This record gives sequence, C-alpha cells and structure tokens, in this order.
Amino acid sequence: MLPISEKTMPIKLFLSVLAVALLATVGCTDEQQVTVQRATSAGPGLKVFKASLDGAPSTIDPAQSANIYANTVVLNAYDTLYRFKYLARPYVVTTNLAASMPEVSEDGLVYRIRIREGTYFVDDPVFDGGIGREVVAEDFVFSLKRFFDPTQRPRGTWLWQGRIVGLDEWKVAGSDYDQEVEGLRAIDRYTIQITLKNPYPQLIYTLAQGYSAIVPREAVEAYGREFSSRPVGSGPFRVLSYDSSRIVFAKNEKYRQVPVDIFEEGYDRATQGFSGVEAIHGRAPPFIDRLEIHFIQENAARWNSFTKDNEIQYLSVPNEQVDNILLSKQPIRPKPEIAAKYHFYHGTEAGFVFMTFNMSLPDFGYSEDPERERRNKALRCAMIKGFDWQRRNESFYFGLGQIFPGIITPTVPEFDPELSRESVELDIEGARKLLADYGWTAETLPELAYATTAGVSQRMFYEQFRGFMKKIGYPAHKIVLQQYATFGDFSKDISDGVLPFIAKGWGLDYPDAENTLQMFYGPNGSPGANDANYSNAEYDRLYEQAAVMQPSPERTAIYRKMNQMVIDDCIAMSGLSRTRIYLWHKNVIGIPDREIVGGFYMRFVDVDNSAGAN
Amino acid sequence: MDVLQYAIRKLIGGIPLILGVSFVSFLLMVYFGPDQTFELLGKNPTVEEIAEVRRQLGYDRPFLMRYGEYLQEIVTLDFGLSNSTGEPVSAMLARTIPISLALVTPGFILGNLLGVLLALIAAYHRGGWIDKTIMGFSVVGMSVSFLIVIIAFQILLSSSFGLNLFPVRGWNVHSLQDYVMYVTVPTLASVFVALGYNTRFYRAVLVEEMTRDHVRTARAFGIQPGKLLYKHILKNSAIPIITRIMFSIPLVVVSGSLLIESYFGIPGVGKITFDAITTGDQPVLKAVVGLTAVLFVITLLATDILYRAVDPRVSLK
Repeated sequence: MLPISEKTMPIKLFLSVLAVALLATVGCTDEQQVTVQRATSAGPGLKVFKASLDGAPSTIDPAQSANIYANTVVLNAYDTLYRFKYLARPYVVTTNLAASMPEVSEDGLVYRIRIREGTYFVDDPVFDGGIGREVVAEDFVFSLKRFFDPTQRPRGTWLWQGRIVGLDEWKVAGSDYDQEVEGLRAIDRYTIQITLKNPYPQLIYTLAQGYSAIVPREAVEAYGREFSSRPVGSGPFRVLSYDSSRIVFAKNEKYRQVPVDIFEEGYDRATQGFSGVEAIHGRAPPFIDRLEIHFIQENAARWNSFTKDNEIQYLSVPNEQVDNILLSKQPIRPKPEIAAKYHFYHGTEAGFVFMTFNMSLPDFGYSEDPERERRNKALRCAMIKGFDWQRRNESFYFGLGQIFPGIITPTVPEFDPELSRESVELDIEGARKLLADYGWTAETLPELAYATTAGVSQRMFYEQFRGFMKKIGYPAHKIVLQQYATFGDFSKDISDGVLPFIAKGWGLDYPDAENTLQMFYGPNGSPGANDANYSNAEYDRLYEQAAVMQPSPERTAIYRKMNQMVIDDCIAMSGLSRTRIYLWHKNVIGIPDREIVGGFYMRFVDVDNSAGAN
Repeated sequence: MDVLQYAIRKLIGGIPLILGVSFVSFLLMVYFGPDQTFELLGKNPTVEEIAEVRRQLGYDRPFLMRYGEYLQEIVTLDFGLSNSTGEPVSAMLARTIPISLALVTPGFILGNLLGVLLALIAAYHRGGWIDKTIMGFSVVGMSVSFLIVIIAFQILLSSSFGLNLFPVRGWNVHSLQDYVMYVTVPTLASVFVALGYNTRFYRAVLVEEMTRDHVRTARAFGIQPGKLLYKHILKNSAIPIITRIMFSIPLVVVSGSLLIESYFGIPGVGKITFDAITTGDQPVLKAVVGLTAVLFVITLLATDILYRAVDPRVSLK
C-alpha cells in the first residue's frame, strides 16, 4: 500500500492542474481575449444591433468575399465606391466613397470617378504611428489589381477579366504592383480613371460589390494571407473581434459624416413607414455604437436566440417556423401576436433555384447523330413537362415561392411577366406523348445520375424528382442518386463537366439579367458558370451584342429572346425564386435585407434604447 | 527514476504509432478528402487559374514529399496557414482549444463522477428496483439523440418558451459568473447523454468486481456498505475506469464537441475541425490529426503511470 500522501497526490495534482487550466481559460489574459472583452462589454446606453446570418464567412478579405456572408461583413468593414440605395426596390446604385456617379465617355469606354476627400482607414499598427491614413485613388487601383495577382487567391477576377485595358497583360507580366496599368490609373490623389476594352454596362454594379472594396496596400503586405482575418478598412464599422460564431464591430468614429436623405434612398411611406426609418432622415450614419453579426447555421438555435428578447434582434425566418408565424400566405400576413411583438417584412429573393441538363454529355445533350440529338431534345422537354413546380413549391417553400419560366428572374427589370408559363406547368400527358412520339420507352430511356451533396433535404428533393419522373413513365430505378460528402467534391465534378444533371441555386451578383444569361453563354462552359455547357451560336452572338449595350428596351428585347432560346431548347427546368421573410425586434429602426450583396443596410440601422421600445 | 526511464521508453515507442496514424490519415486526406480547388476559385476560372490554385494547395506535388513536410510540421508544431481563413493554424488552435476545454471539462468530470456514483449504487442493488431505475434512465440517455437533447435543454432552460434562465448561445466569458452562465446548459446536456454510457459501463465493471471472493469475504466480516464499495470494489475496479476516462481525453481536448459548439455558438475547436473536414482545409486537419495522435501517445504513458499509482502490482518494466 502507498502512504496516504502518495495516495492522494495524483488527485490533488489533477485538481490543481484542472483549476489552473480553467482559470487560465476563463480569465482574459491574452491580447485577443482582452479585445473580445472590450468588444462585448457593452455599457449602459450603448446602441447595439445584433443581427444573425444562417452561415459564416470563411474569410473576410474583399478579394475572396465570394458569398453573401463574406459580403455582409466586408461591406461594413470596408468602403466601396458605390452601393445600392437603402430602401429603393428594384435595386438602384448610388454613391458611397465616390463623390458622384462616374463621368463616362461617349463611347462608354472611359470612366472617371472622383472619390470623397477626408475618408480615413481605421487605426492599425501597419500605418505610421498606428493612425489610419486617408483613402486615396491609388488604393482603389491597388485593390483592383489584387484580382490579377494569383498570390492573393482572388475569387472575383471574372468580374473584370478581359474588360480593362492592360490589366490581363499586367497579370501575365508577373503582377508587379509598381508597374502602371494603362486602363486602371489614379490620375490624381482623388480621381480614378478606368479604361475599358469594350463597353461594360455592368461595371458600375461591380463597383458596389464587396469584391471592389478598398484595402490599404500596407495592410495587405504586412499581414500577407492573414489579412483575410485582420480587416483594415474605412467602412462605417471597425472590427473588434472575429471568430467562427460571430463578428463584433464598433462604430468607426472616423467615418465620413454624410447625412442620409431617406427619400433619395427610395423611402416609400406606405410600405415602409411601419419601420420608423423616418427617424434617421438628415442624420449621418452609422447610428449604432456596436454591431454584432452572429453566424448561426442551426435554425432552432437561431429562432430560440431571436425570441429570447436579449440576444439576436434580427433573422431571416427559418422554413420550419413559417407556419408558426403566418396567419395567411395569400397575401402573406403575420399572426397578430407576431405582428405585435416584431417588425415583419417579406420579399422575393434576388436569385432562383433551377436544374440544368449537361448538354456536353450525349445521353441527354448534344450528339453527333442528328436523330439522337432530336430525340434527346424531346426527352429533355418531356422531363421539363413532367416536373411539378407547384408541388415543389408547396413541399419545400411553403407555397410562397414565385414560379417563373426561363432564367430571367422576377427581381430584375428585364423580367417579362407576360411570358408564356408553359415551361413551368405540369403536363404529364404531353410529356408521355412526347416520349412515345420520339420512341422513348422504359427500356430505352437512359440512366440519369441525380447528383447532390449529402443531406436529408437533398435526399427529399431527389425522391420528389424521381416521383415526378415516374409519373411520365421514367423507371424509378433509372434515376440514381449520386451523393457527395462535401460541397467541394460536388463543385469539382460540376466544374469538370461530368454530371449529366445539376440542381442548383443562384444568387444574383447584380440586378441585371446578364448575370443569369451568362450562365448559358458558350465560352463560359465548364469549368465556368455555364455548367449546362449550352452551346448556341445565335445565343452567343446575342449575348455579345447585348453585353456592350446600356440598359434600354432594345437590350431587354435581346435578353428576352435569349431567355426564350433556353426555354425552347429545353436546357433547364427553371425556375423558382424563394420568398424571404424577415423579423426584427421593435426597438430596431431599419429595414433589413440580404439580397444582391447584402450588408449595406446595417449602417442605417438605429436602436431605440428607451423603455418600452421593444 | 524508474518512471522517468519508462516514460522515455514509452515515448520513443510511441513514435511508430504517430508515424502510422499520421501516414494513414494523410493518405486518406490526400486521396479521399475533399478537393478544395473550386472552393477557392471564382466563377468562370481559366485552366491556368485552376492550375495555379492546385499548385498553391500543393496538390501537384508528390505524396511522399508532402508527407515528409507534414512530419516536419508535427515536430515543429508549425502547421502553416489555414487554406480557408488564412490564419496561422497554431493561432487558431491556441484560440479555440482552451475554449473547448473550458466548455467540456465540467461535463466530462461530472459525467464520469456521477457515472461511477450511480454505477456503484446500481451495482450494490443489482437486480432491484433501484438498479432497474438507474439502468432505465441510462438507456434513455443513450437512446435519445444528442441533437434532440441539446435542443430540448436549450428550449427548456434558455429560451423564452422555457425557464429562460441561461443564454441561448454565445461565449462572453469574463468572470466566473459568466462562465457558469454559459457553461451550465451545455454541461447538463452532455452529462445527460454521457451518464447513460458511463453508468452502464461502470456498472458492468463494478458488478464483476462484486462477485469476487474478497468482496464476499468482506461482506461476511460485516464491513459497512460505504467502505465496501469504496475500498474493496471501486479501488479494485480502477484500472478499467481509468482506461475509459484517460482515452476520452485526447478527443475531448482536440476535437471538442461540434454539436454543442454549433448549437450554443461557442467558437471552439470542434467547429473549426468540422469546417476543415467539410472543406478539405488540410493544414487544419493535419494539425488536429497530428496533435490527437501525439496526445494519445502521452495518454498511453499517463495511463500506465496511473495504473501503477492505483495498483502497485503493476510493473512499469
């Protein structure tokens, strides 16, 4: 037997180590934890807005802000030249860091943009004396050049590739930042000049995206790849802490003071008066002291946190709560108890869900045999006729989604409400007849691999699709589920062009139908956005013709013609735009929005801390 | 001195284990893990851009060269930068592991202490209603999905639909009071589930010990139940109990608890590990796998030394 002291020693030692470990963890001693404490100990009277997102950004470097989550963060930490008006719908571009809308040459090739003087980056050790310096035109030039420097791992290059004189060549020559680019210059301290190879009407939209946010060269060079988690911007807020569960901002006290004119921002008293946004008219944003964005993927946790009253104040309503909060769906109205407690708003998403056939594969797409190609087209058209969009809407989107024909979504100005809806209407008999007319039988129909990521919802989508196809005579065993453990592997196979049928969603990058039409432009084939590998010379010609045209009825007519081609060639089962429902606490003054690039609205949010405001 | 020699011998003996684990896991990562190329590319990438990203990710280099670099990283504890976030992996782990540790430690300790206690009671009353009741609750704890338990506890204790006593989510810990507020509900949820497994396991171990001759003899001598359970049963069952507890530690420390961290919005190591698995962020994965292997070797060593502490008959040779 061991002596008493020896017997108890391991226990005492273990408890001591544990106590020290816990205290070390709980106590805030290192720099980061001190920062977090500063970030989270909101004092009395401080205005704090706690928003939520249903996903998290993996990086907050503007050059890599490829999704809505990253954009939401980037647009609050950084400045863009332009932004979308706070309240105007459809979306309208307005000035942000730019002092005015660009001066454009008559041929549409030269853009001259003057930026506001007196805008400063937030304080950071990378600057002389740690004091943020003024934002100048050269910063924009540097920020855009990063997209043509492979070491920066940029994801938004496609927006400017082949567009700006000398920029692609600058990349080929080795991306030397000290080398001037003919088409991208700071002609003085506050003036930017962009020279295009061809007119690019969507350029202005790209300058409102998170991708085009302005970063200081000092920070990019000092932090290297770590810059993606150490933001140094000149936006309305400065980042205090950032991790996988939330980001905390403080008001950027140095942010330029530009009073907001809500009528210029598109305010409509009839539909938006309930929100109290008139209270911000004439005042300079940002109005809150602290902004917290919580990344909560789990719907139950998001909902519980929102309804708790002292945690998150805004959310996009999760699907499983829709029935609990709505009194009616046509029109969409909240239950009285919800309306009494929260502000409520809804709108159609700027994007859509749809499915495409991969035309590069001979089973359903193009074939060297003209007869087979004719039969394949009939097969695709029959499958489109057999797809029940109404049922899909009711089963997965509570019947609230907006079903529309083609690939021009309802949220863009080029949408045609009069377009025939035949391609989205269920026609089982028509589908069966088409299959029979072209000699398709249960024996001859090809096997279809329905590819998707692993998940319960994805499995349900597949089963419903298989059920629809069974009704038109497609044998169930010939529609095979091909599941991927991760989205990365799924993306790889899409990009490699090996999947015959792809179900996907698309969020608009900007409110112009060109953004969805480019998904069917031949040169954008795999690994590009045209994963249908649609190849139609006339379509491509029209795309190229419209690509250099300013918005006009002529351009809209061309867009619609292209849309009709995709419908007539039976390339896609399309589409449905989901309805988003937003709820926020009554003490929050504002109208949230996450569409297009998301995040701009947060600078206009105010919080009423007075008793009874919530 | 014996212990020191044994420790050195054991650590050297652990090197093949680390090599084996790291090799197999790296093989799986490289050939079966997610391809991150298209996660890092924008729309309409050119062939050159795809090749450039693959080069940056190291996908174009020979397997053995990459494995050699991995071993070097384990030795130097420098795993480079995360491919997803750009942060140094060591900084990510230094930030998240203490949080996960603080999160799971109370549940881990309580789950095991209560498990042993309930198992002792159940074993002592073997076959009786007390035993059946405890085992019934254990089965419930084991049967209900952890996810359901988390959601139920969150609604019951934290939400406005329940008692509304604790925060639904977050980790703003600056004092012991904050810590108690944020850790209570996750701890209760994990204890609820862990108790089921622990109690059943420990009961089986203790019941076996109870049937031994020395226990029967002790009973015949009229030894008090408390003393009998502690001195004659629990102490003699310590080795399987220690084994179970010790081998849970590496996973608790490095892997954290994904579900708890996700649902309670706690920025621990479980969440970043899960994200790394799903996105194929190899620098993070390599660090987690490598550190887990190293911790297992250390745990093996510590377990052997603890065996010796609780049972002097165990030799460290």
